[in-house]
Amino acid sequence: MVSVMANEKLLEIKNLKQHFKVGKSVVKAVDGLTFDIYKGETFGLVGESGCGKSTTGRTIIRLYDATDGEVIFDGENVHGKKNAKELKKFNRKMQMIFQDPYASLNPRMTVADIIAEGIDIHGLAKNKEERMARVHELLETVGLNKEHANRYPHEFSGGQRQRIGIARALAVDPEFIIADEPISALDVSIQAQVVNLMKKLQREKGLTYLFIAHDLSMVKYISDRIGVMYQGEIVELADSDELYADPLHPYTQSLLSAIPLPDPEYERSRTRKLYDSEDYAPKSGEKRVLREVKKGHWVACTEEEYEQFMATV
Amino acid sequence: MSMRQEQLPDLTDDMFQPADIDSSKNEEIAGESTGFWKDAWRRLRKNLGAIIGIVIIVVLSLLAIFGPMMNEYSYHEQDLMRAKLPAKVPGLENVGFLGLNGVDIRGVDQYEAKGVDEYFWFGTDEFGRDQWTRVWQGTRISLFIALAAAFIDFVIGVAYGGISAFYGGRVDNILQRIIEVLVGIPNLILIILFILIFEPGILSIILALAVTGWIGMARIVRGQVLKLKNQEFVLASRTLGASDGRVIGRHLIPNVLGQIIITTMFTIPNAIFFEAFLSFIGLGIRPPEASLGSIINNGFSSLQIYPHLVLYPSIVISLLMIAFNLVGDGLRDAFDPKLRK
Amino acid sequence: MEKILEVKDLHVSFDTFGGEVKAVRGVNLHLEKGETLAIVGESGSGKSVTSKAIMGLIPNPPGRIKEGEILFGGKDLAKMSEKELQSIRGSEISMIFQDPMTSLNPTMTVGKQIMEGLIKHQRLSKTEAKSRAIELLKLVGIPNPDTRVSQYPHQFSGGMRQRVVIAIALACNPRILIADEPTTALDVTIQAQILELLRDLQEKMGTSIIFITHDLGVVANIADRVAVMYAGKIVETGTVDEIFYNPQHPYTWGLLGSMPSLDTSEEELIAIPGSPPDLTDPPKGDAFAPRNPYAMKIDTELEPPLFKISDTHYAATWLLHEKAPKVEPPEAIKKRMKGMASSKPTMVTKDGERNG
Repeated sequence: MVSVMANEKLLEIKNLKQHFKVGKSVVKAVDGLTFDIYKGETFGLVGESGCGKSTTGRTIIRLYDATDGEVIFDGENVHGKKNAKELKKFNRKMQMIFQDPYASLNPRMTVADIIAEGIDIHGLAKNKEERMARVHELLETVGLNKEHANRYPHEFSGGQRQRIGIARALAVDPEFIIADEPISALDVSIQAQVVNLMKKLQREKGLTYLFIAHDLSMVKYISDRIGVMYQGEIVELADSDELYADPLHPYTQSLLSAIPLPDPEYERSRTRKLYDSEDYAPKSGEKRVLREVKKGHWVACTEEEYEQFMATV
Repeated sequence: MSMRQEQLPDLTDDMFQPADIDSSKNEEIAGESTGFWKDAWRRLRKNLGAIIGIVIIVVLSLLAIFGPMMNEYSYHEQDLMRAKLPAKVPGLENVGFLGLNGVDIRGVDQYEAKGVDEYFWFGTDEFGRDQWTRVWQGTRISLFIALAAAFIDFVIGVAYGGISAFYGGRVDNILQRIIEVLVGIPNLILIILFILIFEPGILSIILALAVTGWIGMARIVRGQVLKLKNQEFVLASRTLGASDGRVIGRHLIPNVLGQIIITTMFTIPNAIFFEAFLSFIGLGIRPPEASLGSIINNGFSSLQIYPHLVLYPSIVISLLMIAFNLVGDGLRDAFDPKLRK
Repeated sequence: MEKILEVKDLHVSFDTFGGEVKAVRGVNLHLEKGETLAIVGESGSGKSVTSKAIMGLIPNPPGRIKEGEILFGGKDLAKMSEKELQSIRGSEISMIFQDPMTSLNPTMTVGKQIMEGLIKHQRLSKTEAKSRAIELLKLVGIPNPDTRVSQYPHQFSGGMRQRVVIAIALACNPRILIADEPTTALDVTIQAQILELLRDLQEKMGTSIIFITHDLGVVANIADRVAVMYAGKIVETGTVDEIFYNPQHPYTWGLLGSMPSLDTSEEELIAIPGSPPDLTDPPKGDAFAPRNPYAMKIDTELEPPLFKISDTHYAATWLLHEKAPKVEPPEAIKKRMKGMASSKPTMVTKDGERNG
């Protein structure tokens, strides 16, 4: 996946905020995110549950209206639009793959109707034959076959369902796909099927992915660049190899040192780093901001820490 | 470590050749495709209780339609000469223990005493009206009231609950407060007031039942829609650009329909019972029209002397209630996704 | 080593609408004192059912133990009455479940929940039980146990709740702890803490642990021995080093190959094609054959017996038979195999005699 096309920005996220009112208090699920996603790359967003990574994905695709900030897709601000026609155009360009293979397919619809939903909404098929031909083609793309079209979701296994979800997203020929923990509900052997399929589709169709997950080893494998989220903010952002080789933020370090790997010898010697956000809070009360310490490697740090980083690099 | 390996046959070299595994078969799904409704019907068919319930409902409905035409008497034709006759059925009159021989509880054959030659299958009431005709006429009216009330509950409840949950926020808040106010008023008072204001009759009973009856349905539909509207398949449809109408029609309603049918199935016997209760306390159907409740009410005063006046309509109303509940239970089991494999 | 639990030829079935689901089809395993045995497999492989059978927690109906013995302290748990099982459950063998949110009673303080078992099994007085409960909370690393003991589960975070669950399970010093995916619902950093805690407690108390998981990273971290399950059977068993560095069964290859290690970046992951078999009608022969790229004709006809690779390492695949062609495992697996001298595998027959 080195074929990142000349760093052309597909998606720019600027100071994105998503606050939810819960009773009288406000939960800042996403609090001031800024990052870019380049054409043809896979951007991994990792973090633990409750860090706001799924909310970020859903806000980008407009399932939630952002509290503040901009999402610029291909030069156009997604969140400013109100016109229904423009929205539909946007819906075709950006699609989503969901986490739960059991909840993401309507149990009362046949697989053909599920996959064809986008085709129906956007009128992409002239007649029934064309619609079915397209459905069959999509089923084959994701490794299923024609005979599956008239069956219902409950007859499929988790991995097969997830592939149906991918086919549904592909039906409208999107450029950008948000994958919201697409493999975390699947068995290990099936995870590889889905990841390989996603990689193959990326090669063939030049897709751009935002891959949201908590499984760091899989994210490392599939992503070109990774952003680490903690409490609604990105604390570190770098190329995936760079992030794993030289994590700078203590939270990233603790996260990486906590992953168990399928290698008993490594496991016997692995030592874990601890992270406590209260201990790490800057004494001066200064807010940490993302700063570029190496080319393409951004860390949330204070002015003073920034200078220290620059001195060691 | 031991293995169940009785005796190995001779293993030839040939057996260790690579096998032809058809990789396309990996994704094959055996068996016939079953949709939700087909699956539910398959399960319902295996439920003996539900089948018995369906049979009872069909038989009683047919009797309610055709019963009054099965003899020459009408429901309002009075003849005091043949009043208060016990049941007498041709053929069965000779089977002693059934008590269908026209002999009352004191052992007097009333047909002989009053010189009546005809047979009254369920006997006659205090005005000599044929009880068979009246019971089925009453069943017809009771069922009609129940079905009409259930239908109104269904329409209002689904729309109200659906709108409340789907639009959420302020709309939901206001609609739910209205429901709470309605629930706060004891519905018996509401219904009695309603019937006192309007003329007692079929229409006013239906309306009275519907005034508060839809609340249960509205709450169930609201709960279901609230649960469904944030399911990932609905979100997926939204990201594809689906309109509200499409989300409601293609995704929400088909998934709530099972619940709606079950709720309706339990609304019907409730309405039958409530109508009977209203008639019983004198707020129901006016004579000479009859419902099961009013017939039971009439017979109740002379229960000890003429038990047949209460017995037959009571059996019919009990059978109806049991049958609808059996079918409702059966449908619930058939639709319950937890039992799905 | 002392065997404290032995499962022999266990068969468990569930009667469902679609027919009899043969969830466990002849499992043999044993647990030694003070060790951790990891049972690995995909969902539906029968790993959870096996552990529930040991606990006597198979709901009947629809489930039933069809055949087999579960020997614990000279007694067969499979044949015990519910009452006898109750005296063992929680005191001799206890269990931790996957979801710490639902395995605690929300209406009882955590102290009361820990004390329940102590009062029932060890006949402690209330005050004794309470001080023991505080001790246990301290043991599982909950700060301020004196005040925490009278709090309710909702006042604890997910990781802390799982610690409480562990405290409850360990209250009566059980000899065996069965942990059914205890870290799957937790974040990685919390998972690491819980795994450390379990290892630590095992060292202190000498408990034997059966650890059920699908995460091979967790297995590498915690297990002494590993049993790999597929379609209701154990297909390979061995010490953790034997399974990770000298795997013999193609399913184990698939599992190991489908996980990226931190240095597999460019090559494709080895995906196991297809889906696990339907256990209402398990395929003839080797259940893994339809998904096995190395399948031979014999796999489609005869179930493979266990082959012994070393005293601790067994695998059920015809590939180990002397007549089978030599196959090369996938690249990623070959990288793992670090010169573990494998002697000639021998077939194991029913009465434990070895031939071939």
